[in-house]
Amino acid sequence: MEKELFTFIAGGTAGAGIRKAGAVAGYIFTQMGRRVFEMEDYQSLIKGGHNFAVVSSATYPIQSHYMKADLVVATDKRSYDMHKDHLTSGGIMVYNSDAMKDQQIPNGVGVAFTTISRKYTNSELRLGVGAIAALAAAIGMSKDELTEVIKSQYRDAENNVNFAMEIYDAVAPQLYAKFALKKSDAKHLPMISGSEAISMGAVAGGLDFFFAYPMTPASPLLHYLAGHAKDFNIGVMHPESEIAAINMAIGAASMGLKTMVSSSGGGMALMEEAFSLSGMAEVPVLAILGSRPGPSTGVPTYTEQGDLRFALNQGHGEFPRIVASPYSMEEAFYLAAEMLNMVQQFQTVGTLLTEKHLIESRMNVDIDVEKTQWAQPVMYTGGDEKYLRYKLTEDGISPLMFPPSEQVVKFTSYEHDEYGLSTESPEMIAKMHEKRARKEEALIEKLKQMHTVNVFGETGPLIFTYGSTTMSVLEALRCGNIQARVVQPIYLEPFPVWEFEQFKEESPIVVEQSVMGTFETLIKDKTNIKAKASIRKYDGRPFDPEELAQSIKEVL
Amino acid sequence: MADDLTTYEENTWCPGCGNFGIFNAFKNAVKRLEMEDGISRQNILITAGIGCHAKIFDYLDLSGFYSLHGREIATAQGMKLANPQATIVAFAGDGDAFGEGIEHLIFAAKRNADMTVIIHDNGVYGLTTGQFTPTSPEGFKGPSTPFGSPEEPINPLKLMLVTGATFVARGFSGRLKELTDVFVQAMKHKGFSFVDVLQPCVSFNDTYKLYNSKVELLSQPAANVDEAMRLTEQTEKLPIGVFYQAEAPVYHENLLGNWNPTVQRATRQQRLQSIKSLLEKA
Repeated sequence: MEKELFTFIAGGTAGAGIRKAGAVAGYIFTQMGRRVFEMEDYQSLIKGGHNFAVVSSATYPIQSHYMKADLVVATDKRSYDMHKDHLTSGGIMVYNSDAMKDQQIPNGVGVAFTTISRKYTNSELRLGVGAIAALAAAIGMSKDELTEVIKSQYRDAENNVNFAMEIYDAVAPQLYAKFALKKSDAKHLPMISGSEAISMGAVAGGLDFFFAYPMTPASPLLHYLAGHAKDFNIGVMHPESEIAAINMAIGAASMGLKTMVSSSGGGMALMEEAFSLSGMAEVPVLAILGSRPGPSTGVPTYTEQGDLRFALNQGHGEFPRIVASPYSMEEAFYLAAEMLNMVQQFQTVGTLLTEKHLIESRMNVDIDVEKTQWAQPVMYTGGDEKYLRYKLTEDGISPLMFPPSEQVVKFTSYEHDEYGLSTESPEMIAKMHEKRARKEEALIEKLKQMHTVNVFGETGPLIFTYGSTTMSVLEALRCGNIQARVVQPIYLEPFPVWEFEQFKEESPIVVEQSVMGTFETLIKDKTNIKAKASIRKYDGRPFDPEELAQSIKEVL
Repeated sequence: MADDLTTYEENTWCPGCGNFGIFNAFKNAVKRLEMEDGISRQNILITAGIGCHAKIFDYLDLSGFYSLHGREIATAQGMKLANPQATIVAFAGDGDAFGEGIEHLIFAAKRNADMTVIIHDNGVYGLTTGQFTPTSPEGFKGPSTPFGSPEEPINPLKLMLVTGATFVARGFSGRLKELTDVFVQAMKHKGFSFVDVLQPCVSFNDTYKLYNSKVELLSQPAANVDEAMRLTEQTEKLPIGVFYQAEAPVYHENLLGNWNPTVQRATRQQRLQSIKSLLEKA
């Protein structure tokens, strides 16, 4: 029988081409009309250690990787040790026989990866190609088909093809066509990471200039946008610090550019003072917060949702803030553009809160670029004797004008009068506070007209979750065959309480990647809805759908 | 002192404050740039840190951004990158440029950001009532160092010379004509221009007598960095004027070429087209 769900794990040291192998495996499955979810697990080091890529695929829109694999290719002993218990029943372990001499491996296929690779230059770097060759044999691809894949996906095609053929021949007798995968005629969808989705969405929405200092796991945005700055006709700068990045972004925004920054928790903490500046000066800026396990330096290359409270309270003082968190790569694409528009419309700071799991995982997306929002602030069109940057208006939004201009435009971090000059007048202080508070009201009115909460499913028990954990929950429901309604607020600040009225008599299960249950607390504080059970994970790893399904069943 | 470069904001500097000299010299410089060089005041954008110096932002009727303590040089670079056609001036105190925000000063000089930094260097935190700053002499007594500062001051001009600033000058707020000249030259300089203005604080660090007896106008800039470094070490006399000037590629052109992000922005359709083609390959 043809397999619906198939999971492939490639493991090896950093520098063995394992991450690339994950991407190429995704390409192979996509070409078969299957949908792919790929999760990369890597350590905070450059050479050595243990990296692995988990690539799960199916003909339905799969939303998570699975930790139980049908095929594991362990190019070193450490990979074998780590994944030997990760096989499905009927799963096969392809291991490096050079590294595991004299060991009996049940369901194992030994290949002399090291010996064979040494015939080639940069032998270490080629092990990932070997993993692809084993996968190709296992799912019954021909050598010609494998050659085509290697040629289209790798540099140094000649050596890589030769190496792949040797590996293929070595494993084929035991492995050829062990798995028959279900194919589909569905159109081949692009496979992108969350960081690519956010970057492209922001560009579609009007991003002009991106400023960022490297910090895992937010750096992929910097790398992607820097690499494509010329394609997109945008500016990208890596300055001396996160503080420089955000202040430059705000300076550039005061000239009319649509700007964005990104970082993880620590870097975002450094930006705090400037978030408050954005609130006071009413200069829009969008920040992408890519969470990793904290507090402090924490665990750089893993995932967590421990920054929720931090994200909601960015910047000191009282001013409108916008915080939203996408659940998937597709939603991340559209939300980045939407958030860019929101911060422009309300002239304040917005945070797109996400996690390593979304930023660095990859999946197929069905994106219609025409559906993105285009960021457009309210511009001054004349009519006043003198331009007033902070004109008191009904909705608190003062039309913008950007210098260089005939009229003077004064942005400021001080409390100010309408023209933008510092003030200590009690009347003016109160009026400006009220103006910013009216913006908050206008923002809430706007959100009420928008799609701010996703509800998946129509019947069954209620599950609240947010961010990329939503994908884990949805996949868990599918694999556990559980009927449930999943509620995911996209917007977290201002919190869309009006959408939760319908659930106020119910007690949900709350699923999040946090030890203290910040999301559960937020729900209770905002809606007075109390959870009947909490499922929390805080070991840096995303949920496995089968384990999560089990946990959900236990609390139903 | 009503004129068309001055706002209606009440001036709250202490009578006799050195900031008045900087304010007047800067206004004179703007007028001269308009008359002699065709640089309109609309194209001169200002930013400032936080402190007594920064009140100049509220008093000058020019566009710009009243930034945070220490961050004005970052704000200024963002403004310049957004529209390289603008002339950008950052006013800074010795506290925020050499203390809180020294990273931005050093990096702006290192990358030859095309902008002017004017330091109101009075050797004291005036607005927070007289603490020692990075340029206060060792032994300086203030509320945070009641027994005298235990630190040697930094030498701002030397710091800028070793960091790669392409225009390094010193002025004195009590010598209006010379200060105006230096401001004009700094703002016309293509690249990072740095003007350290010696400025007495009549309330907490009154250096009028000292500076009046010591400042001496340089006849010409040093021929090279080494010579300029030696000039910064003089203490018997305090040279004012341009210490060093050189030509070098500027940051925004290195990063962006001739592209102006404000003027040559990609349209929505161009963006969507490039994203579509990337998605087709993904």
